[in-house]
Amino acid sequence: MSAEAPVPGEIVLEHASRAFSVRGDQGRTLKDLVLRREGEGPPPVQALADVSLHVAPGETVGMVGRNGAGKTSTLRVLAGIVPLDSGVAACGGRVVSLLELGAGFGRDFTGRENIELNGALYGLDRHEIAERMDAIIAFSELGHFIDSPVKTYSSGMMVRLGFAIAAHLPADVLLIDEVLAVGDVSFQRKCLRRISERIAAGATLIFVSHDTGAIERVCERVVVLDGGRVAFDGTVAEGLLFYHRLMGAEQGGGESVRQPGSRALVVADLELQDAAGRSRVLFRTGDPLRVSLRVEARRPVAAARLALEVRDGAGNSLFRTEVSPELNDGVARLRFDVSRLGLLGGDYDLVVEAYEHGQPSPGADRVLSFSVAAEPGAEGVVDLRGTWSDAERAEVAR
Amino acid sequence: MLRYRYLFEQMVRRELRQKYRGSALGVLWYVINPLILMAAYGVMFGVLLKAVSIDDYLLFLLVGLTVWVFFASSLLTAATSLLEQGSVVGKMRFPRETVPAASVAVQLVTFGVLLAFVAPIAVAVRGTLDPALLLLPLVCACLFAFVLGLAMVVAILHAYFRDVAPILSALLLPWFFVTPILFRLQDLPGLAGHPWAETLLEWVNPVTPFVEAMRAILYSGSVPGAGVLIYVVAAAIVAPLAGRAIFRRLEGELAVVL
Repeated sequence: MSAEAPVPGEIVLEHASRAFSVRGDQGRTLKDLVLRREGEGPPPVQALADVSLHVAPGETVGMVGRNGAGKTSTLRVLAGIVPLDSGVAACGGRVVSLLELGAGFGRDFTGRENIELNGALYGLDRHEIAERMDAIIAFSELGHFIDSPVKTYSSGMMVRLGFAIAAHLPADVLLIDEVLAVGDVSFQRKCLRRISERIAAGATLIFVSHDTGAIERVCERVVVLDGGRVAFDGTVAEGLLFYHRLMGAEQGGGESVRQPGSRALVVADLELQDAAGRSRVLFRTGDPLRVSLRVEARRPVAAARLALEVRDGAGNSLFRTEVSPELNDGVARLRFDVSRLGLLGGDYDLVVEAYEHGQPSPGADRVLSFSVAAEPGAEGVVDLRGTWSDAERAEVAR
Repeated sequence: MLRYRYLFEQMVRRELRQKYRGSALGVLWYVINPLILMAAYGVMFGVLLKAVSIDDYLLFLLVGLTVWVFFASSLLTAATSLLEQGSVVGKMRFPRETVPAASVAVQLVTFGVLLAFVAPIAVAVRGTLDPALLLLPLVCACLFAFVLGLAMVVAILHAYFRDVAPILSALLLPWFFVTPILFRLQDLPGLAGHPWAETLLEWVNPVTPFVEAMRAILYSGSVPGAGVLIYVVAAAIVAPLAGRAIFRRLEGELAVVL
């Protein structure tokens, strides 16, 4: 862990973890306190699980991932709004976060008054706001509406005002959550241009968006979050490809391909897990991987047989293994642990079939798709990465 | 923190204007409410019930009520203030203390207006301009600091435990009656022979010294006793320090619990 404070514009996340409880009534009441009912209710959701990220001053990072992947949580942690359970989060210099449209707007107040209030919330004083006022109003293109109460604004006008304020604040780090989506296209372009100008002036940007086009235009690096973890961190082209694949690979529990009624043995609860036992469909080369499943006998069988196979996107078998599970009351819970996933970047299918020993297999029972993130410096399917050296020189050197 | 002085000012202004925006009387409501309360107590206890025989009872009552109204309404509005500003707290980083502090400051404005109303009455009733009046700003400042400290505690606790505001509003009524606002402690017949009970009501209830200090200055035109003054100054130092420490300790999860 680096102990020194980050320089202005630098963003550091080290082993950052944060869980949120997901109880319906968020506030604790005295009753809960007295009755000690902390243990009840659904378990907490791990919004950030051991996230490490380092962004150098002036870098522009697009952050993508499906809903609940931890994007907004990351921004809230970096903005200093939510503390971490463990790990380090630090932003150097002045941080400006645009997390929600019109956060802190007084609906009964005019646009002009809200510029003052919002600027003050960002820590500006009267003088600093006054000298930016005209530029903010001009950027917002709200014209005479600037003296109308904000409650009469459309959501597009709210974006204009909110972004105009944020865009004129002194910032070393800009944290922008999906807020531009509401504005019209020409204003979005203007915002992106403004963001680019700020970056050219040396600001660091983290930009959360589902609009991959906007990310391509503004960012030079993409971080894909999945399940509170960094699933990918690299170039924009690779990152967005990875993201699209991730969105395509959404199938929990495995797809059933069996014909109903014909099987003696069926597979249930098929899941791919990481080292911590969390269900995942995205891995990196070298990650530990566990297949977890249950075999159930529909009728008494003499001996069960289970086959597990990994296929590439074209259906070619890459690996196959079989086992004879012992059934207890017609059920067996099985795990298959791979200490180091030796597959390179790509989409794969995990195919599972269960059948009665000695009988012909009726074919695939369940299929679960998973993806492996692309690794730089290696292409293909199998991870055989080694080290290159110059034999001649090695001899000469000796 | 100094950087956010302007924010504080903005929040107070917003708060003052927002609550009664659109009503015909506007910000006047901040003063009308306590005036009606004072009138009701004055008529009930001073004219109709005549339960106590105190000279210039109406003035006696007004001074005590001014302190109490500030104390009670500050705590009640501060308690729910963070919750009401929950959406901003969850989305922006700014010193959270400004939220309850702004609530108290709004009540301070009311307090100032009431005082501007009560003080001339006091001077008129007594007919003299006593040098003790010079202590008035000091006592008011101490009262503000003391209430500010308590308000921060109440606000942060209520954010975590939503029973705090209801408990507070349930407590304030009995608290009002054990605070010497309608009466003087020495006049309570039930306290005769129980000096410890009088000590309890006088020194354990932190509002009593403030009421007594204000009353000494405005009603009696005299300098408050040394004990009362020391108590008031000490409370004005301890309460905000302790309040801030508790606030800082608990504020981390604010964005999550609101």
